[in-house]
Amino acid sequence: MELLGDLGLGFATALSPYNLLYCFIGVLLGTAVGVLPGLGPVATIAMLLPITFGLPPVSALIMLAGIYYGAQYGGSTTAILINLPGESSSVVTAIDGYQMAKQGRAGPALATAALGSFFAGTVATFLLVLAAPPLAEVALKFGPAEYFSLMVLGLVASVALASGSLLKAFTMIVLGLLLGLVGSDVETGTQRFTFDMPELADGLNFVALSMGVFGLGEILRNLEHEHSRSVMVKHVSGLMLSKADFKRIIGPVLRGTGLGSVLGILPGGGAMLASFAAYTMEKKISPNRAQFGKGAIEGVAAPESANNAGAQTSFIPMLTLGIPSNPVMALMIGAMIIQGITPGPNVVTDEPELFWGMIVSMWIGNLMLVLLNLPLIGLWVRMLTIPYHLLFPAIIAFCCIGAFSVNNSVFDVFIMAVFGVVGYTLIKLDFEPAPLLLGFVLGPMLEENLRRAMLLSRGSPMVFITHPLSLGLLLVAAALLLIVVLPSVRSKREEAFSE
Amino acid sequence: MKHPRSTLSPWTALSRRTVLGLGAGLGALALGAMSVATPTPAAAQSAYPSRPVTLVVPFPAGGSTDLVARLVASRMTGVLGQQIVVENRGGAGGNLGSAAVARAEPDGYTILMGTVATHALNPALQKKMPYDAVKDFAPISLLALIPNVLVVSNDFPAKNVKELIELLKAKPGEYSYASSGNGTPLHLSGELFKSMAGVDMVHVPYKGAGPALVDVIAGHVPIMFDNLPPSLEQIRGGKLRGLAVTTKERAPSIPDLPTIAETLPGYETYSWNAFFAPAGTPKAVIDKLNAASLAALKDPEVSAKLADLSATVVGSTPEELATHVKDELAKWAPVVAASGARID
Repeated sequence: MELLGDLGLGFATALSPYNLLYCFIGVLLGTAVGVLPGLGPVATIAMLLPITFGLPPVSALIMLAGIYYGAQYGGSTTAILINLPGESSSVVTAIDGYQMAKQGRAGPALATAALGSFFAGTVATFLLVLAAPPLAEVALKFGPAEYFSLMVLGLVASVALASGSLLKAFTMIVLGLLLGLVGSDVETGTQRFTFDMPELADGLNFVALSMGVFGLGEILRNLEHEHSRSVMVKHVSGLMLSKADFKRIIGPVLRGTGLGSVLGILPGGGAMLASFAAYTMEKKISPNRAQFGKGAIEGVAAPESANNAGAQTSFIPMLTLGIPSNPVMALMIGAMIIQGITPGPNVVTDEPELFWGMIVSMWIGNLMLVLLNLPLIGLWVRMLTIPYHLLFPAIIAFCCIGAFSVNNSVFDVFIMAVFGVVGYTLIKLDFEPAPLLLGFVLGPMLEENLRRAMLLSRGSPMVFITHPLSLGLLLVAAALLLIVVLPSVRSKREEAFSE
Repeated sequence: MKHPRSTLSPWTALSRRTVLGLGAGLGALALGAMSVATPTPAAAQSAYPSRPVTLVVPFPAGGSTDLVARLVASRMTGVLGQQIVVENRGGAGGNLGSAAVARAEPDGYTILMGTVATHALNPALQKKMPYDAVKDFAPISLLALIPNVLVVSNDFPAKNVKELIELLKAKPGEYSYASSGNGTPLHLSGELFKSMAGVDMVHVPYKGAGPALVDVIAGHVPIMFDNLPPSLEQIRGGKLRGLAVTTKERAPSIPDLPTIAETLPGYETYSWNAFFAPAGTPKAVIDKLNAASLAALKDPEVSAKLADLSATVVGSTPEELATHVKDELAKWAPVVAASGARID
């Protein structure tokens, strides 16, 4: 019954009018910055940090958390409507979501994202309540060897993301890996592909790269066919989900939530891996897999549920161990320290009001987000009917602001412009950009953990096999590889996936 | 319900920041509008400062340097009569933001939060520095010192510094230590320890102290040098064993933890934060910024929060900071050379 008492305390805290207000401000702001391409939660929370000095700690953290998961909601909106994933977790949502929008089904796509996210958020919040401390221990089991094997599995799985040629998908992954190498070598500090530019010492900026390849590339392509673009959005069919749609998304939402909840716990890329792992899985098992890449509603439901579940469970290592699992959590820890609460293993017992209040507020915040977002869908969809010659300069302006705001760096705006041309070229050559971005994100983590594991084992590769978790992940990767490579299976695969 | 303690009402602050949050481009506009709205004495029309001052923090938001900067900046308004806007420009170990301030107009409207990394370690580590730590800056004030701490995993055999040194001597090169990255203050704290104790252990760099700390808690890497604030709660919570702090004196926030110097006389490292302006900034402007910094450090709320961060408040004169930078450069150059760490 201790749990009920704790939850009661949580509800009492989260439902106080003051905290409800800050929760609402948080999710509203989060949705707004999520919708604006490129302007992510990190920049927003950094800018809002000073005003939280004057707030009570619980209210401050409730608001900051709201911004974070609110942005996850909003981020899918731009990914679906204009093919602009501002966050790594919405890259895969863009694949089928944007296709749906092009077919006039932006409404159902947005509704799927909102409902899937709400469901996933609810489940993940309960998981937080029931099992946060033991789950945090699971995260600690992942050392360098286990992360390496997880990344291998991720890369193998990302090949399956491609809907066209296998060779082209592979090429994109390798190109992404190479782009991920730009910057300082973590072990030695050697500069790689930086051309003596200190701006490149920390590597290429994900937001600039992603908005260039996806957003600007798409705009350039659309400008070629402005006529068809404006005709395409004239027929917007139904805003809400049909019964058939509902039936199709139940499975993907459940599976996405499960995957997202588990992977979100892992510090370092877990939440991001979740969204595309969920997409890959659906693509393998869905009865409608032939539709993937051409506007399958499952391709929106699964990754959106996964990334929202992951966003919630990524609070677990932060709240129970004081470990930041991503830059947003690092900022939250900063905010807590300023409030005189040093996050660590004692927060649950020392600050029960904060811990339980925050968890309950996350569920309330998710509810607010659904209520906020469902009526807004009509508005967003109408945005598509804005004449393109008015819409695209606005998108470009927001992209520039977004790319600049990450590091306050003009250099990143130029990087975005360069990758806009790259993205356009890729579209013209019929290469898909999603595997490139995944290679770009996974590559550095793969290399870093490989070298760290080998350094710790003093050069023995056996470490990847003697650690049971690592071995298990590698076996799954090998099995997946076999499925892709085996000729008999491959011919079937190509039948299924290429037109 | 606690009441907001900020001198600014949270509502004014919120509405202004909302605009900022919605678009950095609009932000400039909002700030412009604000500086017009801020009442300034008519006589001081040309007097410094007549518009908000930008404080560049050359690291990402949320770290301890950023926190110290934001805490102090939030209380400098009283003396300056203007807002200080914190701008995070991380990258290249702090060199990007520092170089930007070195090249900025020396008018006092752009200042830097410098650290042991930007003004002592990086110059020793890097062949091609984009700025000169001494010649390109006008010191304002050394604000605070933050201790580092030597921690080990709970199941590690050594219970104190003496046992650690004996263990490492018995098994040279067998143990590894984690750090926040190649050439960072934490890495070099480890290298200084190795050379002074005459021991060998393998350096395992991470991208930042956070992920390194996770692997030490989990026992994947047994030893680490960390900033005291993040490790402190882990030690108190029993997830990590603290062996010693790196400062000359014990840290008030955890007085039962000995210093490394108690076993290894003369060992001392710490992180420090200081304000710098671009070289050539007028003396009167430097003095005003110095006075504002000292006033902020005396604010009871700021000093209490700095104490939470285990920081020792200094609040030096510009001249003392200049000497401090020269001493630190002289101290770290041989350590860096001996460690073999370098960034080309």
